[in-house]
Amino acid sequence: MYENILTVMIFLPILAGFGVLVLPMKNEAARAVGLVAAILVVILGLRIFFNFAGTGGFEFTERVELFESVGISYSLGVDGISFLVLMAGACLFPMAYLLLTTKNKGYYANMLIAQGAMIGAIAATDMILFYVFWEVMLLPIFFMIGLYGGPSRLHATLKITLYTIAGSLFMLAAIIYIGVVYHYQTGSWSFNITDLMALNLAGGPATAAFIFFMFAFAIKIPLFPFHTWLPDAYTEAPTAATFLLSAIMAKIGVYAVIRFVLPIFAEEFARFALLLAYSGVIGMMYCGIAAIAQKDFKRMLAFSSASHMGIIALGIFCMNLQALTGTLYQIVAHATSTGVLFLLLGIIEERMDTRTIGDLGGIAYKAPIFATFFAVAMLASVGLPGTSGFIGEFLIILGAVKFNITIGVLAGTTLIIGVCYMLWMFQRVFFEKLTEKTEKFTDLSPIETLTILPIVVLIIVMGIYPQPFLDKVAPAAKQQLAQVLTEQHQVADSADPLMEQIEQKN
Amino acid sequence: MMDFIVLFPLIVVGAGAIILMLMASMKSLGEGNTALAALGIFALAFAVQLMVSATESVTPYGGIFNGMLVANGFTKVAGLIIIASGFVSCLTAQSYFTQNKFYSAEFYSLIMFAACGMLLLTMSAELITLFISLEIMSLAIYVLVGYDRTNIKRSEAVLKYLMLGAFAGAFFTMGTAFVYAAVNSTRFVDIAGHLSTTSFLESPAMAAGAFLVIVAFLFKVAAFPFHAWVVDVYDGAPLPVTGFMATAVKTAVFAVFANFLIIDDGLKGVWVEYLFYIAVLTMFAGNLIAIGQNSLKRMLAASGIVHTGYLLVALVAVGTENFTGGVILYYLAAYAVATLGVFAALSYLGGENERRDTFEHFKGLAKVRPYSAAAITIFMLSMAGIPPTAGFMGKFYIIADAIRAGYMLLAVLAIVSSVLSMWYYLRLVVMMYFKEPEEEFETTGMSLAPIGTALLAVCVFAIGFYPVLL
Repeated sequence: MYENILTVMIFLPILAGFGVLVLPMKNEAARAVGLVAAILVVILGLRIFFNFAGTGGFEFTERVELFESVGISYSLGVDGISFLVLMAGACLFPMAYLLLTTKNKGYYANMLIAQGAMIGAIAATDMILFYVFWEVMLLPIFFMIGLYGGPSRLHATLKITLYTIAGSLFMLAAIIYIGVVYHYQTGSWSFNITDLMALNLAGGPATAAFIFFMFAFAIKIPLFPFHTWLPDAYTEAPTAATFLLSAIMAKIGVYAVIRFVLPIFAEEFARFALLLAYSGVIGMMYCGIAAIAQKDFKRMLAFSSASHMGIIALGIFCMNLQALTGTLYQIVAHATSTGVLFLLLGIIEERMDTRTIGDLGGIAYKAPIFATFFAVAMLASVGLPGTSGFIGEFLIILGAVKFNITIGVLAGTTLIIGVCYMLWMFQRVFFEKLTEKTEKFTDLSPIETLTILPIVVLIIVMGIYPQPFLDKVAPAAKQQLAQVLTEQHQVADSADPLMEQIEQKN
Repeated sequence: MMDFIVLFPLIVVGAGAIILMLMASMKSLGEGNTALAALGIFALAFAVQLMVSATESVTPYGGIFNGMLVANGFTKVAGLIIIASGFVSCLTAQSYFTQNKFYSAEFYSLIMFAACGMLLLTMSAELITLFISLEIMSLAIYVLVGYDRTNIKRSEAVLKYLMLGAFAGAFFTMGTAFVYAAVNSTRFVDIAGHLSTTSFLESPAMAAGAFLVIVAFLFKVAAFPFHAWVVDVYDGAPLPVTGFMATAVKTAVFAVFANFLIIDDGLKGVWVEYLFYIAVLTMFAGNLIAIGQNSLKRMLAASGIVHTGYLLVALVAVGTENFTGGVILYYLAAYAVATLGVFAALSYLGGENERRDTFEHFKGLAKVRPYSAAAITIFMLSMAGIPPTAGFMGKFYIIADAIRAGYMLLAVLAIVSSVLSMWYYLRLVVMMYFKEPEEEFETTGMSLAPIGTALLAVCVFAIGFYPVLL
C-alpha cells in the first residue's frame, strides 16, 4: 500500500505541472488542477505522518538501480531528519493556490513542478538523485521570478540563478569526490547516503569538499555573507515564489546540511563549527538590523526571514542534541509562520496594490480576522511562548549557550531585535490611522479564513504540545549526532566530550 | 560475415553519396525528394550500424586491407553518432532550403561523402588511412562551407577554413613521415609495439612526429591555441553545415584522437601534461569568446570550443580502469543532440537568409512559438549541464573520471567554466521568455525540422536516463 507513496508524491505534481503547460486549459482550470494535486499530496503526506514509526531508520523506502556501473540509484526514504521538512513541503501548498490568483497558468505549472522537485530533494537518499531534484527545483523559481516578478525581475532572477547554480555545481564536485573516495575504499560504487555515512574522510581534499558543500548550502539557506541575492529575489518574486523560497526551499538547504554534511564530514564540521556559528549569528544580527530600516513591507519580511534562517542554521553548528532537535522543529515552525506571513502580505498587495509600510495603517480596524492571523504568525516568528517558534528557538539558544556562551548571548539578543522590528511594523500597519488605501480593505473571505485557520491552529498546537512532533524527530537527531559524538569520544574522553573537543580546538 | 557487416554502414553511406551524385544530374528530382532519399540512406545505415554487435575489436578483412581498419564498441557508437548527425543535418537542410534558395542536389551528396569519411576516420588503425579519411571528410566540408558561393561571408569562411585545414593536413603528413622514420610502420599496433621497447623521448623522430600529429588533431577539434578559426568559419557556413560540423566532425576527430592517444601509455603519459593545460585554456578561451557574442551562431561556435575543452578533460583522464572511452562518446552524444537540436530550430526560425540570428531577434519567442522556445530551452539547459538532461550526465561522467584519475584541480576548473557558460545559455532563455515579442517568426513551406527538434528534445532526456554507452 505504501510502497510507492513517495514516488507518487513527487511525480503527481510534476506530471500535473507538465499537463497544465502542454494541454490547452484556462487559468481557473489550471488553478483547480494545482489545488487538487496539492490536496492529494497533503493527504499522502498525512498518511506518512500517521504511519511514521520514528525509529531512527529510513521508512517508506523505495529503490531502483539507475546506473549500476557508477552506483547511482533512484532511492527514496523518510527518517526523522527529513520527516518534518517533508511535512512542510507537502502540507503548505494548498494555501498558495487558494489565496493567490494570477492571470497566467504557467504560474501554477511552475508551482506544481517546484513542489514535486522539492519533495524529491527531501525524500532522496541517493546523493546524485538529491542533486538532480535540487537543481530541478531551481528552474521553476527562475521562470516564476523572470516571468511574473516585479519591475527589476530580470536582475533578480539572474542573480539568484547564477548564485545557486554556482553553489550547486561545486556541490556536484564534492558529491563526486565522496563517491570516488568510496570507490577507492570499498572497490564498488555507491552514492547512497547510508553507505557514504560510513566513510572516514580527512585531509586536504576532504576539507575542500566540505567547503564546496557548505558553499552550496550557505547560498541556499542563505548564510551570511552569501545572502546578497535574497533581498532582491524575495522582493521581486511574485508572492507564490517568495513563499516557496522562504517557506520551503531555504529549509531544504538547512536540512541538507544535517543530512549530508554533518554525518559525512563530522571531523571537518567540528573544526569549522565555531566559524560557521559566528557566520550564523552575524547574519542574524545583520539581517535583523537591516529589517528595521526597510520601508518596503516585503523587503522587511525578507530580511526578517533571513535573520531567522540564521538562527536555524546556528542550531546545526552547535552540534548538540538540544540545538539539533530545535533546528528540526524550528524548520517547520519557521516554514508555517513565514509562509503565512508572506501569503497574507500577498493578499495585502493584491487588494491594495502597495507594499510600502508608510502607505498602510489601521488594517486591524477594517479586518480583524486578517490582523489576528497575522499577529499569531508574527508572534510565532519572533518566538513568543505558546507558539511553535518558541519551542524551536528556545532549544536552539539553549544549545548555543551550551556550545559557546558568547554565541548563546548574541543569539539571544537577536530575538530582541526581532521583536523590535516586528512590533514596530505591526503597529504601523495594523493600528494607527486608516489611510486612503486601507480605507477600502476588506477582511478575509470565509474560504480564505478556512484556508489559513488550520495553519494558525497548527502554530498554536505546536507551541503548546510539542511532544508528538519531537518524539518523531528526536531518535533520528540522536542517531545523526551519535557519529559526531563518538568521534569526539575517541579524542577526548571526558564527561562532556563534545565541549572539551571544541574548546581544545579553539 | 562479421567483417562485412562492420563495413556495411560505410558502404551504404559511400554508395548512397555516389548514387545521389548521379541522381543530381537528373534535374527532375526535386529538393524534397532528394532530402527524403538522403534521410532514407542515413536511416538504413543507422539501422545496420545498430545491429553490429562488436564486443571485441574486429579487424575487417585484415588480409585484404592489411589491418588498416579496426572496429569495436567504441567505433560503433561513434559511428552511430555520426550517422545520426547526418540524418538530422539533412532534416535541418530540408527546412533551411525552404527559405534559402541556393540549393542544388549535390548538397546532400556532399553531406554523405563527409559522413563516409568520418566513419572511415573512426575506424582507422593506421596513419595513412587516417589521413585519407580525414581528407575525404575535410574536402566535402570545405565545399559545404562555401556552398552559397555568391555570399561574401561564406567565401571568407571557406577560404579561412581551407587555408588552415591545409596547414593542419600538412602538419599531419609531416608528423606521419616522422613517425614512419622512427617506427618503420604507420600502423597504430606497430607504433605501440615500438613504444613498449623504446622510451618515447629517446627517439626524437617519434616525439616530433607525435607532436605534429597532435597539433593537427588539436586544430581539427578547435582546441586552444588553434581555436580562433572556429567562430568565423561556423558563422560563415550555412546553418545545417554548421550544425553538422559542430557535431559530426568533432565526434569523428575525437574518436580517432582517443584511439591514437591510448595506443600506448608512454605516448599518453608525455602528452597528458600538456593536454591538461590545453584543456584548461580551451575551456576559458571559449568562454571568454562566447560571453562577448551577440550572434547565436557565433555563440554556439564559441561554446563548441568550451565543449572541446570538457572533452579534452575526458581525454586527459582516459585510460583509467573501466569507464574510459565511453565517457567521451557519451558526452559527444549528449552534446550532439543538444547542438543539432538548436541548429534544427534555428533553421526554420532563422527566416530568409538567416536574418534572425542574434539574441535580440529571439525576444519573446516563447509567446509566439511556445513549443519551439521550450525545445530550445531544453537544449540550452542540456548544454549548460542542468539535470536531468543528457548534458548533466555527460558532465557528471567527465568530472567523475577526472577526479578518479587524480585531477581534482581540472575537475574544479571545469566546474568554474560551467558556471561561466551559464551566462550565455541563460541569456537566450531570458530573451525568449522574459521579453516581449517583436516578431511573428513566420515560416514558409512544408518543413521537416520541427519534427527533428521535437525528437531531439525527447532524446535529451532519453539519453540522460541511459547508462554509459560502453
